[in-house]
Amino acid sequence: MEETKFEINGLEDFAVREHRSLWIDAWRRLVANRTAMVGLIVVVLFLLSATFAHFFWDYEPKIDLDYGAKLLPPQLIATEEVDIHLFGTDKLGRDIFRRTIHGGWNSLRVGLVAVSISLLVGGILGLLAGFFESIHMNFWESFILMTLLGFALGMLPAWIARQFFQAILFALLGAGSVVFDRYLNGKKKHRLYIFPALGAMLAALPGLMVGPMVALVCGVVGLLIGLLLSKPVGGELFSNIVMRIMDIILSFPSYLLAIAIVAFLGPGLEKGMIAIGVVGIPVYARLARSAVMSVTQKEYVLASHAVGESHSRMLFRHVLPNILSPIIVQATMGLANAILSAAALGFLGLGAIPPEPEWGAMLGDSYKYLSSGAWWAVLFPGLAIMLSVLGFNLLGDGLRDALDPKIRL
Amino acid sequence: MGRYILRRLLSVIPTLIGVTLVIFLFQRLIPGDPAVAMLGERATEENIARIREQFGLDRPSFLDRDALAEGDLAGFFDSQYSRYFGRLMRFDLGESIHRRIPVAETLKERFPATLELSLLSMSIALLIGIPAGIASASKRNTALDGVTMVGSLIGVSMPIFWLGIMEIMLFSVFLKWLPTGGRLPTGVEIQSITNLLLLDSLLTGNFAGFVAALKHIILPAVALATIPAAIITRMTRSSMLDVLQEDYIRTATAKGLSLKVVLFRHALKNAFLPVITIIGLQAGSLLAGAVLTETIFSWPGIGKWVYDSILGRDYPIVQGVTLLIAIIFLFVNLVVDLSYAILDPRISLE
Repeated sequence: MEETKFEINGLEDFAVREHRSLWIDAWRRLVANRTAMVGLIVVVLFLLSATFAHFFWDYEPKIDLDYGAKLLPPQLIATEEVDIHLFGTDKLGRDIFRRTIHGGWNSLRVGLVAVSISLLVGGILGLLAGFFESIHMNFWESFILMTLLGFALGMLPAWIARQFFQAILFALLGAGSVVFDRYLNGKKKHRLYIFPALGAMLAALPGLMVGPMVALVCGVVGLLIGLLLSKPVGGELFSNIVMRIMDIILSFPSYLLAIAIVAFLGPGLEKGMIAIGVVGIPVYARLARSAVMSVTQKEYVLASHAVGESHSRMLFRHVLPNILSPIIVQATMGLANAILSAAALGFLGLGAIPPEPEWGAMLGDSYKYLSSGAWWAVLFPGLAIMLSVLGFNLLGDGLRDALDPKIRL
Repeated sequence: MGRYILRRLLSVIPTLIGVTLVIFLFQRLIPGDPAVAMLGERATEENIARIREQFGLDRPSFLDRDALAEGDLAGFFDSQYSRYFGRLMRFDLGESIHRRIPVAETLKERFPATLELSLLSMSIALLIGIPAGIASASKRNTALDGVTMVGSLIGVSMPIFWLGIMEIMLFSVFLKWLPTGGRLPTGVEIQSITNLLLLDSLLTGNFAGFVAALKHIILPAVALATIPAAIITRMTRSSMLDVLQEDYIRTATAKGLSLKVVLFRHALKNAFLPVITIIGLQAGSLLAGAVLTETIFSWPGIGKWVYDSILGRDYPIVQGVTLLIAIIFLFVNLVVDLSYAILDPRISLE
């Protein structure tokens, strides 16, 4: 300890700059970036106004009605007949400024929750897929994976024969495969016969109790499962399965899938959040996986592997902190997209249920009396959507420059 | 190369099956009894029974274990999904609940309108995006670059349904220059050959029809083109900037080649690959964006149809159109991947 300290002291003349963490460094770069600061200010303003309005400025959408003040243009000064209406009023005489501010709570909330869902699920899936694709699973990880795999596959014959215990038998078979691989290494050739035969037996014999046809089908299924379980699969298979599922979600263009999901579920803010969140999962899974795979090639991860650090320590101490920056950038940009999708759902009448204020729904409403020339009913909610989305996009762009100076052009 | 193409083609099959599975599962999302949800509360027993039979709702979803227990192997595989899949194989997308017309038939009628709109939008996006990206990259850190970048960021952040409404507000309600919606004014006839009105009117020499059709399509096309144009601009710019840093560009400039030759002969060819990928991805979002744009402009394509079907709870139509769009999207990206392999020999070697 003493020695290293001495060395650092010796270097002090050399290293004039004080020690700063990556995050402080990035923060300074972000502050120096003018467009990013504009984005940050816009975002903070929207978040604050929406939050404060929700908690400190009461609004009862259900009783907000004033036919006397129908479709008034923006009114900046109060007169005897009309109150101040900064953004004008809509066809029910509701103040658009008030509804826009309160609508922010709903619109931004959908974006935040949706991105949290996609980030959490996609991030974890991508992290695990990428990690185990590049680093070999140890005995216990393999044991758990194969047991779960055996259990999941075993559910099929168990369901067919209505015998739940079959799933447990197959879970044991999966676990057995790992144990076999480790302790009976010399007899590798035999397991190609042993496991399918065992699988067929495990499924067919209990199946016989139900009926001969059930036994036949279960036997065939069991044979195939046994074949699959005969060799412990590595992380690559896990990663492959996850990424194929992601591909399926990705093959629906952007928010079309969300629209379709909510169309079937029925309208509602919460359903919109879930739909947009689910649709966003593959983006984060892919990003996290590729980031993890590039990080695990780095010397510091190889070194920690070589000194025998546990996998969980490697994952959380070395890999996770180093993939955070692309994910933070993507999440910021993703927020912009989620808000846009949420507004699109609202516009189509699939978001907030009226009279609840929400930007997209307000637009969808005012669109119906477009010919009356009430431009203010259209302009302001749309402007709110665009500015908040622009804010998140600007901030995301700035964050990318700040967090990853290497790719700065 | 041949093996790469084959592998890529085969890899589409599991994804396609997955897509049909997702679309099939949509109807499980309907809260309550799907047959009642489809027909409304006041549906007659007879109609409910008809819907149940038509969708096989009386069958199990995937596999029939009860049939198997009785020794019926064929009955085991006779399920809602296998029937649905079998119908798809025969290009049968079911029929509309309200109008009882096959979905595939109306699809054939309505698809050309969406295709025309998407093609024009993509052309506009390319005509704006690629030159803007090249100009922005070659004049980096100038006012032009700044304006282009801010413009493209605003474009990316644009809610297209809002832009569409503002367009109608300005050009149709206030200025009265252009119609608010539809595809053709009443009274104008264009002889249909391809059902793409702009093309048909030119082919038949119907100039008045062409102008009328153009007046109707221009606003929705511009609205739909905004986001792709902005994304293509950004991609072209960053891809060009990457390439312009390469050694061979410096060599070309040092040789005394003109800026034009360096940009278009040397840089653009290599910068174009990532741009092609983005164009493929945008094709999907164009089709998704069509739902919003067509709704606003009452454009008689599949997007407006989906919107009406969502409101009318006509689920088979929503399923059919979503499936069609997903398949188109999948194949556009397949074509992009394959063209990538042709343009860049390194790909197929991997």
